[in-house]
Amino acid sequence: MSRLIARLNPKWEPALVVAINAVSAALVYAVVTGRFYVSMSAVALIVTGLICLERVGLIDELFRLYSQNRRAALLALSIILFLFPFTIRKSPYLVHIAVMACLYAITALGLNFQMGSTDMTNFAGGAFFGMGAYTSALLNMKIGLNPWFGIPAAMVMTVLLAYLIGLPTLRTRGYYLSLVTIAMQTVFTLLIINTEWVGGPNGVAGITPYSLGSYSFRSPLWLFGYRLPYQAHYFYLSALVLMCAGYVASRLHISRLGLCWNTIGEDEIAARCQGINPASAKLLAFCAGGAFAGAAGAIYAHYISFIGPEDFDFTKSLMIICMVILGGMDNVTGVTVGAVLLTLIDEKLRDFTDYRMLLYGVILLTVLLLRPEGLIPKRVRRYELVFGRAWRKAHGSGRHETGYQA
Amino acid sequence: MSVFTEQVMNALLLGSCYTLAAIGYSLFFGVIDTVIFCVGDIAIFGAFGVLAIYSLAVAGGLVAGVPVWLLTLAVVLGGTMLCALLSVTTHRVGVKPFEGRPSLMPLLSTIALGVVIRELIGLFYPQGRNPHVFPRLLPGGALSDMAILSYRNLIILGTTLVLLTLLFLFVNRTKTGKSMQAISQNKEAACMIGINPGAIVTLTFVIGGLLLGIGGFLIGSYYSIIRFDMGALYGLKGFSAAVVGGLGNTYGAIVGSMLIAFVEVFVSGYIHGGTAYASVFAFMVVVLFMIFKPEGILGEKTVEKV
Repeated sequence: MSRLIARLNPKWEPALVVAINAVSAALVYAVVTGRFYVSMSAVALIVTGLICLERVGLIDELFRLYSQNRRAALLALSIILFLFPFTIRKSPYLVHIAVMACLYAITALGLNFQMGSTDMTNFAGGAFFGMGAYTSALLNMKIGLNPWFGIPAAMVMTVLLAYLIGLPTLRTRGYYLSLVTIAMQTVFTLLIINTEWVGGPNGVAGITPYSLGSYSFRSPLWLFGYRLPYQAHYFYLSALVLMCAGYVASRLHISRLGLCWNTIGEDEIAARCQGINPASAKLLAFCAGGAFAGAAGAIYAHYISFIGPEDFDFTKSLMIICMVILGGMDNVTGVTVGAVLLTLIDEKLRDFTDYRMLLYGVILLTVLLLRPEGLIPKRVRRYELVFGRAWRKAHGSGRHETGYQA
Repeated sequence: MSVFTEQVMNALLLGSCYTLAAIGYSLFFGVIDTVIFCVGDIAIFGAFGVLAIYSLAVAGGLVAGVPVWLLTLAVVLGGTMLCALLSVTTHRVGVKPFEGRPSLMPLLSTIALGVVIRELIGLFYPQGRNPHVFPRLLPGGALSDMAILSYRNLIILGTTLVLLTLLFLFVNRTKTGKSMQAISQNKEAACMIGINPGAIVTLTFVIGGLLLGIGGFLIGSYYSIIRFDMGALYGLKGFSAAVVGGLGNTYGAIVGSMLIAFVEVFVSGYIHGGTAYASVFAFMVVVLFMIFKPEGILGEKTVEKV
């Protein structure tokens, strides 16, 4: 099968990429819209499909295909994302699920810097997400700041929080690091519940939605004569941010910093011997993750318009960790897939609210026992300029030496 | 009776509850070099086990005519047995498959197991998500007219002391205990002199489970109300205590537990509106220790070699 792709005429490769994108989109569509059994079978199909593709080595081939036909892939993805709300315009709830999938994917990408790249299990992901949400919401409610400025403000504040949480973890590793982050997450939740100024246990309600001029994002969106539910605004916004986040994350992945993180994760002493400063690299991993989670949290707050302390507790942290592990640590595509899948499963199981936490525990345990490397395991890092012209010049024609082979 | 003495007594009680969890962490960490994160949930499972057995006994009419101390002993024994079973299961499901893997995995798997245990109690215990009143099995009277010296409090303190002494004697004076120490020092060398590591590890988990079961019973008696999700915070405090004292060190676990408990009780007692922030201060102590003395009060400083 992989040989078939390799033998394919390069002319047809963009078409193949578009076709694969369409098939994946159809699968996701089935998961989102289908009835319970249809959607669960689609999830099972995706999971087994990914595992089988990995077994026969097709994933590597796909990665190569996509990186060489980047433009076609991006174009197809943008069109699919643009058309997606049209296909589910009858049901605002389905659009809502899509928005949540994007937001969680951004947060999970942020956590991946710490968990995947640097091997620091951070249990404060929920606190990061919440810090972004609360910052933007409170700035909006208390001093009437425009929600759009809330996003950068939330990113700054979350980076500060991430820095603060990162500091005590510098001297610690493994269990101790996890303990510090768990403690910080608990402290964050307790402080929010007990501080009257930020709404206490009642949370913050009535947060202003985004608006452009006098055009509010809370009104239905008319595009080409179709009436889309108001959630579509947020879907486009969060999908845009997700694409930016994915771009930044994959650039960081192949950058020198990404390599440093990986080295520290593998062996900190060896990293130090190579002249890497672990303290600053680790703090950067925290801060970068914080910026991602902050942006996602800010959008979340203005989208949902009500936030409470229980939205950002340890449970949420565990959920984000589940996403990273299920998708595949240290793999940008994998983490995104994991986040989207888990959000969809979570929303589909709304009818069984009582069993949600149990399900998370069981999923985490099963993944760890059966496939600890995740659905799309990490690849060897290519510390190269895959995005630049130099790389394409060197690798554009020679399709067989891929550099992906682990 | 001054307020101060009362607070000290309270802190001692809370500290002895934490001590059992902290000892659990240290015991497991000492022998298999892995942190079992669902210790708190195992303890609360034990508390629910005691409650369930007691309720069944009451419903079955077995209580009439049985002296209270015998009944207490019986239900506590039953609860701790359940705990020991769960503890061994935890090891089989959540720890053993990950031997030789990165330390992140058993950490995550035991956290996941903790969630599973918690949710199973919440879902399948009758009305598990509501708080349950814990049976008052410990005698209610007091030693003198001072309410704080009640029999319940003295029994909680005394039980902890007796358990600690027994554990100390077992680990240091018996052959099995020494085998445990040998495995914790050097597993391969221990194998070479004929120690069966599998059996010793299982035994460790049985002992840990028994300790945690009694810990759950004491926690239930101390608060007199139990909730299915108490285990998370209890376990976290226990782990904090073990780390503050020095992970793997038994005395450290006691010292750390007392420190955490004293911080909590005195913050709630002496700072206005401090009750809500007691846990915050306790965790701040942990964070400070992580920054300035990561090896803990009594822990040995380890120098990492390449």
